[in-house]
Amino acid sequence: MRRLLALLVLLVLPLAGAHAQGDPPGVKGLFLLTDYPSQTVRAGEVTTIRVKVNNAGLVPEPLALSLQGVPTGWKADILGGGQPVAAVMAGVNQDVTVQIRVEVPKDAKPGSQNLVLNAKGQTLQQASLPLTLTVGTETPAKLSLKSRLPSLRGTPRSAFEYTLTVGNDSGKDLTVALSAQGPANFQNTFTEGFGSNEISSIPIEAGQTKDIKLKVTPPRDVKAGDYPVLVKVAAEGATAEMRVTLQVSGQGKLALSTKDGRLSGEAEIGKASTYTLILNNDGTAPVEEVEMSGTVPANWKVEFNPKTIPSIAPNDKKEVQVAVTPADKAIAGDYVASFRANGRGEQASADFRITVTTSTLWGIVGVGVIAVALLVLLGAVMRFGRR
Amino acid sequence: MADNVIEVRGLLKLYGAQRAVNAIDLDIRRGEIFGLLGPNGAGKTTTILMLLGLTETSGGTVNVLGFDPVRQPLEVKRRVGYLPDAVGFYDHLTARENLVYTARLLDIPRRQIDGRILEALKSVKLDDVIDKRVSTFSRGMRQRLGIAEIVMKQAEVAILDEPTSGLDPHATFELLEMIRGLKKSGVAVLLSSHLLDRVQSVCDRVALFNKGNVALMGTVVELANQVLGAGHPLQVEASGVDVAATLNGIVGVQTVRQESDGSWRIVADRDVRAAVAQRIVSAGGALTRLADLQPSLEEVYTRYFQEARHAA
Amino acid sequence: MPRSREGSPFTGLGPVFLKEFADHLSSARMMVLMLFVIVFGAFPVATSLQTLRTVVDPNSFIFLRIFTLESEQVGISFTAALNFIIPLMAIGLGFDAVNSEFNRRTLSRVLSQPIYRDALLLGKFLGGLATLAVALVALWLIVLGAGLLLLGVPPRGVEVARGLSFLVVAIAYGGVWLAIAMLFSVIFRSTATSALCALGVWLFFFILWPLLAGALLVGLAPSEIRSMDDYAAVQSMGLGLMRLSPGTLFSEAVLGLLSPETRTLGPMLPSQMRGAIMGAPLPFDQSVLLIWPQVTGLIAGMIVVFAAAYVIFQREEVRA
Repeated sequence: MRRLLALLVLLVLPLAGAHAQGDPPGVKGLFLLTDYPSQTVRAGEVTTIRVKVNNAGLVPEPLALSLQGVPTGWKADILGGGQPVAAVMAGVNQDVTVQIRVEVPKDAKPGSQNLVLNAKGQTLQQASLPLTLTVGTETPAKLSLKSRLPSLRGTPRSAFEYTLTVGNDSGKDLTVALSAQGPANFQNTFTEGFGSNEISSIPIEAGQTKDIKLKVTPPRDVKAGDYPVLVKVAAEGATAEMRVTLQVSGQGKLALSTKDGRLSGEAEIGKASTYTLILNNDGTAPVEEVEMSGTVPANWKVEFNPKTIPSIAPNDKKEVQVAVTPADKAIAGDYVASFRANGRGEQASADFRITVTTSTLWGIVGVGVIAVALLVLLGAVMRFGRR
Repeated sequence: MADNVIEVRGLLKLYGAQRAVNAIDLDIRRGEIFGLLGPNGAGKTTTILMLLGLTETSGGTVNVLGFDPVRQPLEVKRRVGYLPDAVGFYDHLTARENLVYTARLLDIPRRQIDGRILEALKSVKLDDVIDKRVSTFSRGMRQRLGIAEIVMKQAEVAILDEPTSGLDPHATFELLEMIRGLKKSGVAVLLSSHLLDRVQSVCDRVALFNKGNVALMGTVVELANQVLGAGHPLQVEASGVDVAATLNGIVGVQTVRQESDGSWRIVADRDVRAAVAQRIVSAGGALTRLADLQPSLEEVYTRYFQEARHAA
Repeated sequence: MPRSREGSPFTGLGPVFLKEFADHLSSARMMVLMLFVIVFGAFPVATSLQTLRTVVDPNSFIFLRIFTLESEQVGISFTAALNFIIPLMAIGLGFDAVNSEFNRRTLSRVLSQPIYRDALLLGKFLGGLATLAVALVALWLIVLGAGLLLLGVPPRGVEVARGLSFLVVAIAYGGVWLAIAMLFSVIFRSTATSALCALGVWLFFFILWPLLAGALLVGLAPSEIRSMDDYAAVQSMGLGLMRLSPGTLFSEAVLGLLSPETRTLGPMLPSQMRGAIMGAPLPFDQSVLLIWPQVTGLIAGMIVVFAAAYVIFQREEVRA
């Protein structure tokens, strides 16, 4: 609180002769701003402090920058755009950002050091910013892990995608390693928030958060139930973890076959032949609203009875009668007919080989032709057989 | 009537408008040899074929051994043997094989076939060529083989169509002997021929065919009486006497005609040979020949057709 | 005055049949015909066997292929060779059936035995047919045996069944020509005329009829073909004309029997081919149903021609 007051004093001081033209209305002058004017630094490390030089409604002019109170053995540089700078110039109502790079010697003694950053123009414009750097014990890195939807529901074939927010709550950039621990045979992959690349770690700047995605693929044959996956993020000793849950519901699975497994049959031209199909649900959940359909050669007819099945329970089977009528002009031989069952999200199909047979009616007609010929012969015998 | 094996009444055969057989009546008695005589094309063969049921009749009735050849040809053919004009056999088969085929067609029991064939061939004196191919046979042998077939068949009636045509005199003689043999074994024989003198010697009765009609029927003598007039023709050869004058006045003599120098033909209504001889001898003539002329079929035939032509 | 006759018309059929059969089998003519057939049949069979030995064929009907394979060296399959040899055999067996009996003067003698003409004609026909059948069965067995020997695999049951059916069809085909030859032997007293006429019919159907049918089709077909249906109709018409020839019926029946993948003998519309599994063999009974009209046509034709010969024979005078 004391330091805040000091800053305010510093900020207010230049206002004596300076009136800002823009916003905030009525505020005019030159300001040096930083988020954290009083920071903890660690011995042997480099700390960068971002400072904004703000020109509020003044005529721009070059401002010489200088640091005062740098303890001996410390090294402090003013950097702008990555290069050491000695002066800045900010346009009217504009900011220039500089970094103060402070190298704290390893042997720096704990305690606070006060530094002052001065910006001084050729005329009256000037401002200064006192910075208090406390050499203290190390503050641990801190990570946070959150998910808005930690529990997802789906089928064994669904993709379980969790969006996780990883926060770097420490004062420095961290590279965060990602890991997830689920039940055996569950596959976990991490991807960037909107990317598709698979990642195993992600850099996060100090104080920032990033969204990552965790995709969990359960094995196909997984039984229905709740499966926890423990997600862990770790960086420099800091860890965070949370539990996401897969609520795997059952999945229906259709299979189409016949009683004896024979996928062939005979059909007579122009006549309906009925085959019994067996619809199996090999899955773990009921399949709803199964609709039967079929593809047959041109001008053939195919009808199912029943056409739709409301529901098939797991490990249950239903019989479906399919009546196939080859076209009147069909030619004897083997043909392929496809039968399909479409449930909600589930389907099964079977190719059925149908041997088309001709009616024996023509055979009888042929016998009739021979009979007529024999009658002709018989008539000849009756009429002429007198010798 | 029970003695008739064949009875024909009003038998008719039309070829278009032409009457090949014109409503004939025939009776053939059991055990006789009956000759169907007439020129070629007179309807003999057609009649025979109708008797066998091999040709349809156009009208009339036929009864062969109590069967109707039109309706029951199988029964007729089973009992009647037929030797067609110029009979043919399968040349590539032997005599025995030919007869075996016939025997099979006749449905003769197998055990009897060999015996009956041998017997039949013996009766026609062909048993020494039983296993020779028919292609080596002469015409006479073939005709005899045909007779053998009838013998094997044990037919009740034998119908022979021109059996002697084309045969040399010796073969003809042999064949006629065999026909007599058939008669002896009780078979009624119906034979057709245009060769009159040969037939005359074996036939008991004949029927003379002319243009589809039976012109004459009966024994040869009856026919002669009918055509040549009743009476006994005599031939007289004598010299040194006027035969015509000498014979005049003999009771029964109807005509005396000189045929050539020293030869006369006499027709009488009874046997006048004794009286004729007596008259010539007593008149001082030398009688060199006095013959009772058998009526010749040839003569009957010739005379009849002459008269038929005159009538027409 | 058609009065009914008594007694079976088949009386004596057996002896006539047996005699004709024995005569044919022992005749020099039969030897010549058999030699002819074997020489003609041997080349296609030998070459097709050679081809089948070298080519590993996925076709499972390898035995049937012996009959149908048209090798390049010979250019004719065994069945195609049979297609014109069988008529020749049948004509050879039948052209003098009745008129030679006339000429040998045996006819009236035989007919004076207790049989009807029916039995004589039928016995002669059956005798010829049996002879033909014996020759064809022998030929068939030779081919089968050669196949077994050279291919080293036994035929499957269905192949044997198809092969036997083929034999039946071949005999029926021979029967048609036998009836035709016998018809001429009844019509003409001269055996030479009869043989010439029968051979003339044979040549007509094999050489002239395809040309004539083509010309007729041009005349009969609509001038403009607008649709597939029109085209199919014209095709059917052409086929119908060709099917008046017994040879066509035979070759179609053989195709259906020995090439099991044959689905139809007529034109096939594209709509009929949709969904069809091409190359899949038809079941045996279906193949038989497919060629049934051809087979019945052959048999009916045989009967009708025989009936014609019968009527003419009955009306003829027996006297030579």
